[in-house]
Amino acid sequence: MTDHVIEVRDLRKEFGAFVAVRDVSFHVERGEIFGYLGANGAGKSTTIRMLCGLMAPSGGAATVAGHDVGRDPMKVKSSIGYMSQKFSLYRDLVAEHNLEFFGGIYGLRGKTLSRAIDAAVERTGLAPHRKAMTGSLPGGIRQRLALACSILHSPEIVFLDEPTAGVDPAARRDFWRLIRELSSAGTTVFVTTHYMDEAEYCARIGLMVDGALVALDTPRHLKEKYVPGVTLAVSGRDLHRAIAAAAALPGVIAAEPFGARVHVRFEEGRVDEAAVRALFSREGRVDRVETIEASLEDVFLAVVGAGEKKEDAA
Amino acid sequence: MIRLLGMLASVAKKEVRQTVRDKRMMMLLIVAPLIQLFVFGNAVNLDVDHVPTVIVDQDLSHESRQHVARLLADGTLEEIARTHDTEAAEHMLVTGDAAVVLVIPPGFGDDVARRRTARVQAILDGSDPNRANVAAAAIATYFAGESQRVQRERGVALASTQGFAAHIPDVVVDSRVLFNPTLDTAVYMVPGVAAMLLLLITTIVTAMGLAREREVGTLEQILVTPVPAAMLIFGKVLPFAIVGLIDFGIALVVGSTVFDMPLHGSMPLLICATLLYLMTTLGIGLLISTYSSSQQQAFLGGFLFMLPAALLSGIMTPIRSMPSWLQPFTMLNPLRHYAEILRASLLRGAGLTDLITPMSILAVMGAVIFTYASLRFRAVTMK
Repeated sequence: MTDHVIEVRDLRKEFGAFVAVRDVSFHVERGEIFGYLGANGAGKSTTIRMLCGLMAPSGGAATVAGHDVGRDPMKVKSSIGYMSQKFSLYRDLVAEHNLEFFGGIYGLRGKTLSRAIDAAVERTGLAPHRKAMTGSLPGGIRQRLALACSILHSPEIVFLDEPTAGVDPAARRDFWRLIRELSSAGTTVFVTTHYMDEAEYCARIGLMVDGALVALDTPRHLKEKYVPGVTLAVSGRDLHRAIAAAAALPGVIAAEPFGARVHVRFEEGRVDEAAVRALFSREGRVDRVETIEASLEDVFLAVVGAGEKKEDAA
Repeated sequence: MIRLLGMLASVAKKEVRQTVRDKRMMMLLIVAPLIQLFVFGNAVNLDVDHVPTVIVDQDLSHESRQHVARLLADGTLEEIARTHDTEAAEHMLVTGDAAVVLVIPPGFGDDVARRRTARVQAILDGSDPNRANVAAAAIATYFAGESQRVQRERGVALASTQGFAAHIPDVVVDSRVLFNPTLDTAVYMVPGVAAMLLLLITTIVTAMGLAREREVGTLEQILVTPVPAAMLIFGKVLPFAIVGLIDFGIALVVGSTVFDMPLHGSMPLLICATLLYLMTTLGIGLLISTYSSSQQQAFLGGFLFMLPAALLSGIMTPIRSMPSWLQPFTMLNPLRHYAEILRASLLRGAGLTDLITPMSILAVMGAVIFTYASLRFRAVTMK
């Protein structure tokens, strides 16, 4: 039997006539990195706020670490860590004092508190910055400090609401290394992000469109389902002249220019690399043809596009 | 329980660390009250004396000179000029150089000597009604006393010539001022100013402190922790309540050493009253913060409350002289009750039994405001 550390059933949130989250159901397994994707205003943050006990659901139910979010928000809060997109530590305190404060209000004190601080500092590599004024720390280190503050009480689950927004690529990579370490140590990570390359790190991904959870699976399965077929990237000269002809080829799903290259996606078995190369060579010069994997960005666009089409029909 | 107290201590410790680092805040908490105390204690002087007076003596008799000298002797009026020209004297009223013109018409000395009704004229600048009243009263009292003396002398003279005993009914008011014998305004003002200072510090600091947490986003980070709203609120206001008590102590020391304010009342009673009062002011600060989404709004909100609270407290002007429809509203003002307790206790040595009414009003008010504000705070932040 699998261990569901988060269990959500028909969760709903209404603000007056506006439905922010409509009847969402899913579960998260212990220790997994669960990605929650969606456009701005799709209902990601509202879902997280309900799961953290910050907001009561209008309908449905959710248990987090075994506690009902509507009935037992205090117990939920004790078992989770939360880090929001907005940097929300005290800039006018030194790093260590922020840790002391948040540890203190999680109920830690004395030896337990100082050991928890040492452990969190060690884990996040903050040792050289302990005595630094928080406001003077660079963005990447601040994010690590915020993470350290949210894991002091060894929570079962950490909620990260766009934790890397506005952080440089190197710092983002470091931060994700930390997230993976947390996860392999048994902490469940629930993360929302705008960066599709980050989403690839997640074990499973949920996709929200207009308050509804429209897709939920591993990145690989999502790609197979929403971006089926084989994609070839053709590079060379004067390729654009053949795009229309390529798109008209039986078995081809899409042929689109992508930067200097052209991406041709087709159903496996009905077209092959030689046929594509031959088609483009007629109009221009082909230098290289390679098979590429579909990205989550393609999945995202396919899913959101489908949602929009459905709306147009309705 | 220990866990909750630990949370409270963490919040209080963090608050102290932030405040100590913030130089402007330290100024607001410690230096500003001292300055205000000195400024208010000295500048808000309701005592009326040395009223600038122009003497227009058109009589120039021995009697006129003698009466003017005796009228000026008590210090309420001060002669700044002497002239014959009534118009020039009145012009000095317009320019503000003088507040009183005392005209002694020709024939005054003659009338006095012949036992006829003598007249003097006082022209007063009414733009400061209080000063005009006091000056008019000083002049009227002096001349009433004089006519009484003259009548008595005449009665005695009559009696000796007619051969019967003189019996003139007479009421003499012998007033004795208790508690503030010199009627010094500073002694009266200092407790009131102390009450206003506590209001300023605790209400505005609490309102702004919570609004800042909301604005910066730290409030949300706190709300995902299991710290109960009550511990958060108490932890945040506790350091400022202590600062409030320290400021109160400073006010008492300055009041008694610099302004010779008596310290009659019992300390436990005063501290108890102060704690009840702080509960209302901190509660109002909390309430204002629930209506503000930024520090500016909280600051403005604080002032919107402060101004009417100070004006309707009876500290600057007596409540009895307010319009009668307005007077009941002052009962809703915690500042009014606290100032009343401070004055009664410090200046008159009133005890708990004398002050049970304002004390209970403060207690009820504090409990209601604080509870309502806490519930609202929770409702607003938890949505």
